[in-house]
Amino acid sequence: MIAALARARGRDWEALKASRQKKDALFDLAARIALLAERSRQQGISVLAEAAEVERRKALRAGLELVAAGRDAEELDRVLDAESAEPDPGSALELRLVRAGLRGLVAGEHPYTLMRRMSAQLGLEYFDKAEAWILGRIKRRRPRAEDLVVPGELPDVVRDLALDPRFLERALRAAGREIAAASLAGCPRESMELAKPLYGRIGGIVIEDDAAFLRSRLSGDEIAQAQAAFLEIARGLEERGDLRFGGEESLEADPAFIVELTKAIMTLDAELLRSALRGLAPASLAAAMQGMEPKAHDRILAALPKKEAKRVLDAIDEAPPLSARAVVEAGSRLASLVLAAAEKHPAAGKSPLLRSALQRLERVASWPRSKS
Amino acid sequence: MIQWNAELARRLRCREEEKRDLAPLIRRLMEFARAARAEGFQSLERALPEAEDPLLAAGLRLVMEGLAGEALEDILATYLLAEDRSGLPLLKACVVVEGLVALAEADEPALMARKLAAYLGAERSLPLLEELERDGVLPSSAPPAPAEAR
Repeated sequence: MIAALARARGRDWEALKASRQKKDALFDLAARIALLAERSRQQGISVLAEAAEVERRKALRAGLELVAAGRDAEELDRVLDAESAEPDPGSALELRLVRAGLRGLVAGEHPYTLMRRMSAQLGLEYFDKAEAWILGRIKRRRPRAEDLVVPGELPDVVRDLALDPRFLERALRAAGREIAAASLAGCPRESMELAKPLYGRIGGIVIEDDAAFLRSRLSGDEIAQAQAAFLEIARGLEERGDLRFGGEESLEADPAFIVELTKAIMTLDAELLRSALRGLAPASLAAAMQGMEPKAHDRILAALPKKEAKRVLDAIDEAPPLSARAVVEAGSRLASLVLAAAEKHPAAGKSPLLRSALQRLERVASWPRSKS
Repeated sequence: MIQWNAELARRLRCREEEKRDLAPLIRRLMEFARAARAEGFQSLERALPEAEDPLLAAGLRLVMEGLAGEALEDILATYLLAEDRSGLPLLKACVVVEGLVALAEADEPALMARKLAAYLGAERSLPLLEELERDGVLPSSAPPAPAEAR
């Protein structure tokens, strides 16, 4: 049973009716508290004490003072309970919202999670508004660049698991956000970049922020402990058959795929190749080239203008080794592009060599992902 | 420890035949779990346009963001408390919340199905679990049949 509902008593079930105007004002209050949480993460807890001094809302002021003084959630509840004697519905709703925000603040939750908690008090009609607010904050965010690498095997494990992102996702989710963030706090940037997309746009920023926040709060030993816990969880999942550590095998693309794509590239009409490659992002081409033999690389680079060839070479240098699946996906995308370009090409279908190259590309474009 | 209270029990009360509506919802939640496992949690994005219940749509987005456990449960329960539901709509909403929390925690399918089927009551939950096994949604719990004597 849902614990939060089982804890709810009579008054908690009363939907508090408040005007749209009041709810909008409370949404603004929630945003203000979330911003305060954001600032306190960046500048320290003294921000809360300063905010309490100028706060006009009694409950919020009292709550901020307690949080700034490092008091726990129970004490916070006691103080806020004293504020809740017979309030009107609007004030009661405000108190619920403030309580939700302050409790999250005490628990060290991310400001966006606080915003989710507080805006939930206003009902589902404020869900999208809260999301828009969060996305607005994300747009204004400055990128983080700091690294703190705690010696250990976790970065290798993350890279290994990321060969099949579902495995990395399972490990991260099974570990929970706190352990995941604390573990990633001691990893190089690459590990975070592999983990972030698995949480979507908002969740990715939250885990990145949480890791950065914990990096400044936890000792090296504490981070190492979190990493050990993460590894234990990942190994537990492996024992249950829920994930597999990739190893070198998964990095090797299907040899049959490499042969097919290489032969197709080598026998393609040079002009068709050039027109298909035109406008293709260097990173996409570099990824597809991981599924070709070196002679096909030479042919592609020779087909490109010098500046473009240089960009592709840079992209090859920067690209991490892709999983077999990702190589097949990139190669298939390239094959589809060439096939699309061939439809408009006058020579297509006329030469037997070109016909055979296009047939190979059709096979490459629909190459089964499971084969890799 | 089982947490329960009289107010919640009163609000959840609905006719036995109304509970039939829960089975398709449970199947749907089980399908979300299967998709998340097979294709990753971000694949749930595809389900959003078809999630006509705003609570389900909001919950799926929160799960995709990586919210789980108590934080997810609290937020979703707050939406419920803010809406004053009761009867079948509340029961359905509870199944949605329980299912989303199980989804976020990546519960084993069998565990998730048992948690959700419990909302049907003891009498109806077993037939549903058997049905899910027959349809391959759940692995069979029956012991393997002994080999026939020649």
